[in-house]
Amino acid sequence: MLALQAKDLVVGARIDGDVVPAIRALSFDLQPGKIVGLVGESGAGKSMVGRAIAQLLPSGFAITAGSLLFEGEDLVRMAAARRRTLLGRAIAFIPQAPMTALNPVRTIGAQFDEHLARLGEDSRNARRERALAMLAAARLPDARELLAQYPHQLSGGMCQRVLIAMAFSSNPRLVIADEPTTALDVTMHPQILRLIADMQSQHGTAVIFITHDLRLAAQLCDAVIVMYAGRAVESGPARAVLSTPAHPYTRCLQLANPSMSAERRALYVMPDQMPSLRQLQNISGCHFAPRCPLATDDCRRSEPPNIVIAADRSVACIRAEATRSISTTPGAAVASNISERPVLQVEGLQKRYEVGSGLFNSARTVAAVKNASFSIAENEFVALVGESGSGKSTIAKMLVGLEPPSGGRILLNGEDLTAPAMRGRALRAMSLQMVFQDPQSALNPRRRVARIITQAMEAGSRHASWNERLARTKELLAEVGLSADFAARLPGQLSGGQRQRVNIARALCSIPKLLIADEIVSGLDVSIQAQLLNLLARLRSELGFAMLFISHDLSVVRHLCSRVLVMYGGEIVEQGPIATVFADPQHVHTRALLSSVPPDEPEAVWPSLDRNAS
Amino acid sequence: MGGPVLRSLRSPRVLIASGMIFCIAFCAIFAGFIAPHDPGDQNLVSILTPPAWAGGGDPSYPLGTDSLGRCVLSRLIYGARTAMLVAVFASIGAMIIGSILAHISGYFGGAIDWIIGRMVDVWMSFPPVILSLILMVGLGVGLDKVILAIVLVDWTRFCRVLRSEVLVVTRHDYIAAARLLGFTHWQTIVREVLPATLPLLITLVSLEMAIAVVVEAILSFVGLGVGADQPAWGQMIADARQYVYQSPWNLLLPILAIFLTVAAFNLLGDGLRRTLDVRLAETGR
Repeated sequence: MLALQAKDLVVGARIDGDVVPAIRALSFDLQPGKIVGLVGESGAGKSMVGRAIAQLLPSGFAITAGSLLFEGEDLVRMAAARRRTLLGRAIAFIPQAPMTALNPVRTIGAQFDEHLARLGEDSRNARRERALAMLAAARLPDARELLAQYPHQLSGGMCQRVLIAMAFSSNPRLVIADEPTTALDVTMHPQILRLIADMQSQHGTAVIFITHDLRLAAQLCDAVIVMYAGRAVESGPARAVLSTPAHPYTRCLQLANPSMSAERRALYVMPDQMPSLRQLQNISGCHFAPRCPLATDDCRRSEPPNIVIAADRSVACIRAEATRSISTTPGAAVASNISERPVLQVEGLQKRYEVGSGLFNSARTVAAVKNASFSIAENEFVALVGESGSGKSTIAKMLVGLEPPSGGRILLNGEDLTAPAMRGRALRAMSLQMVFQDPQSALNPRRRVARIITQAMEAGSRHASWNERLARTKELLAEVGLSADFAARLPGQLSGGQRQRVNIARALCSIPKLLIADEIVSGLDVSIQAQLLNLLARLRSELGFAMLFISHDLSVVRHLCSRVLVMYGGEIVEQGPIATVFADPQHVHTRALLSSVPPDEPEAVWPSLDRNAS
Repeated sequence: MGGPVLRSLRSPRVLIASGMIFCIAFCAIFAGFIAPHDPGDQNLVSILTPPAWAGGGDPSYPLGTDSLGRCVLSRLIYGARTAMLVAVFASIGAMIIGSILAHISGYFGGAIDWIIGRMVDVWMSFPPVILSLILMVGLGVGLDKVILAIVLVDWTRFCRVLRSEVLVVTRHDYIAAARLLGFTHWQTIVREVLPATLPLLITLVSLEMAIAVVVEAILSFVGLGVGADQPAWGQMIADARQYVYQSPWNLLLPILAIFLTVAAFNLLGDGLRRTLDVRLAETGR
C-alpha cells in the first residue's frame, strides 16, 4: 500500500472574490520508506502541500478538489477526530524554524514527556527511557542532562535534532520536513540531513522533503517533484531528473545556480520572477511561458498536459525535447582586472563588548572580533565567510562606522578612519557604502524610490535640486536594470529582488570605491540571486569598485569573488585566493564549510551524506 | 503622501468625530454671535428657571437659568470656548515637550535615554490630578495656568509611548543607511524617524485633548481652574451641585457637554489610530 497518494489535489485561494488555484491538480505516489523531494522557488506552492496534509492552510486557502490518500484513507474527507489520531502520530512534522517550534519556558524533558504521553505511553519511567533512547539515536550527547535544559540553552542544530527525535518517537509512517535546514548554519546541514536520512531508513518512514536546493534534493531524495506556480512541472527519480532535466524551468534553475566545481561562467538569468497568485489569473497557457526561452505561441495558447517521457518520469512541457539546448554563454568573464593598489587596509582590528555590567556584578568582556587584518585592492571582490556569530557583521559595522572599534586601524585609501580627526563621516560616506541584508528594513517605506536612491544628495549640507536628483535617479535605475517608471514607486510596491536592486542603487549613488555587502542575496530565490550576481559583476566592470562580500554560501562566493577570508570565533582563520583555499583548505572550519555544500553533479557522491560511510 | 488622509476620511469613526468636534469648535469660536445672552448677565428675577420645553420655562432662556439667573445655554457655549482652548494648547504643548524628549531618548539611547526614562518614572509616580492641583495652587488661577499645569503633567504620556515607537523605528536598517549616506543626527531624526512616528503622534494628540478637557473640568470644579469671571463646564457643575433637586438640568447639561466632547476626541483618536497605524492597517482589514 502506498504511504501517500495525492490525486489531482487542488488548493484554492480566495483572491478578490475569485478562487485561484494555488496548487493545481497535483498527483504523486509515495512508496513506504522512500523520500520524495518537493523543490521549487518560494511561491511555487511546495509548502502548501505539507500544510494541506496537516490541514493547516492559511486563511483564505482551502482544498477544493482531489484527494490525499494516506495508506488508503482520504485525509481530505475523513472525520476530524480520525485525522487528529493520525497527525502527530502516524504523520509527523519537522519544522523549518526549530527555535520557535519549542516552548521557550519549558524544559526539553517536559516537552518530550508531554509528547510521549499524548502518544499514549502511561508509565512515567517508560516515557523517560524512550525519550533518552530517542535523543541518543539523534546523536545528542548527554541526553540525561539535555532533558533538564531549556531550548535557549541549545544551539539551533541541537533544537532541530530534538525535534527530529520527537517526530520519529511515534514511529510515524510519514514525515513531512519543510526546509528543515534553512534556518540553521551551513555547517549543521549535513549532520541534520544525515540524521533525517538515517532515522528514515531505520524506521522505514516515507518522507516528504520540501526544499529549494536542487543539489540537496539530488543527494537526499529518491524522487523529486519540481514545482512552479502551483503546478508540478516535472517529476521522476531524483538523480535522473536533476542530471537530465526535461522541463526548461528545471534546466534554467540549474544554470542559475553558481557552480562549486565548473569553470566560472555568467549565470543563466530568467527574466522577471515567479508570478503571484494574482498575476496567475492573467496568464493563459503554460505558466512558465513568460519566462521560458523556448516558449512558442502554442505554449501560450493552452496549458501543457503531463507527458510521460520515461518510466516514472513526466514533464508538463510540449517542447521538452529542446530543453537540453538551453545554455549560458560559456567563458563569459566574471573576474576582471584587479589592480595591486589597496583601497582598504585593516590592521589588527578588534571589538570587545562588555556584558552583564550592572550595579551588583562586574562586567565580563567578550571579544567579538580578535585581531583581524586584511586588505582589499581596487576592483577586487573579497568574500568574508563564516557561521553566524563568527563576527562577520561586526567587522562590517566597524568598517562603515556604525560601531567604534576597540582597537586596530582601518585605512581607506591610506587615511586612518579610526583617527580622532576622521570622526566626521563625510569622507567615509563618499567612498564607502553598505548594502544591507534585509531590503525590507533597509528602505524607508515612506520614501519613493527616486528619493531613496538619491538620498545621498540631500545628506549633510548638500542640497541638490529635484531635477538633478531625477536625472541621477534615471541613470541609477538604468544601471541596476530597473525601468524609469520605478522612480515613483514606494518600497511596498516592489518585490524582494527589486528592493535589493534599489538598495544597491542607493549605495552606488555617490560612486563609492568600496561596497560592504552583508548577505545581500541570502534571502532571495535562485533565479533572483542569479540576476543580482550578474548585476554586481556587470556594475564592477562598468563603474569599478571593490567589495567586501559577506556570505555563508560558498558557491555564490566562488562565483563572484577572487579572494576569501574565513572567520571562526571572531578570528580570521584562513585567507587567500579562492581557488587555493577551496582546493586545499587548511583550517578545520574551512573544511567543515566546504563539506557542507552538496556536489554539483547529481550523480556524484556527497561524502557528508554518504550512507555507506560510517 | 495623500493616502493616509484620504483613508482616514473614509472611516466613519473619524467622520462622525470630526463632525462633532467641528460643531463644538464652531460654538467656541463664534460664541459671541450664537449665545443669546452675555454669560455673566444675571437676571435675579428668574433664577433656576427650567428649560424652555419644561413647565414654567421661559422661551428667552432656551436651557433655563442657574442659581444666579444666568443663561445656561450661553454659559455652555462660552464654556466650550474655555474647553477647546485648553484642549488645543495643552495637548500641543505636552506633545512638543514629550515628543522632543522621546525622540532624543529613543534615538540616542544610552545615558541620555536612562536619564529621561528615570525622569518620566519619577514624574509619573505622582497621581496626575493631585499633581496638577498642587501646580494650580502654586501658579494661581487662569486659563494660561491651567494649560501650563496640564502640559507639565501630561508630557510624560507622550514621552513614554513615543519613545518605544522611536526605538522600533530606529532599529530599522534604513536609519543606519541614512547615517552612512552622510545624514546628520538632526536630519536623520526629522526626515527618517519623525515621518514614521507621526501617525502615533497625531493619535496621541487627539486622545490627549480628551484628557485635557476632563482635567480642566476637574480643576474648575474645585475652583482652581480658570478665573470666576470665565465660564467653564466644571464650574457650572460645581454651581449646580447645591440645587440638584430643584433644577437637575443645570447639573446634567454641562456633564452632557463634557461627555460629548470627550467622546468625540476619543472616537477621533481611535479612528485615526485604526487608519494611520501601519501595523493595524495591514492586519486589521
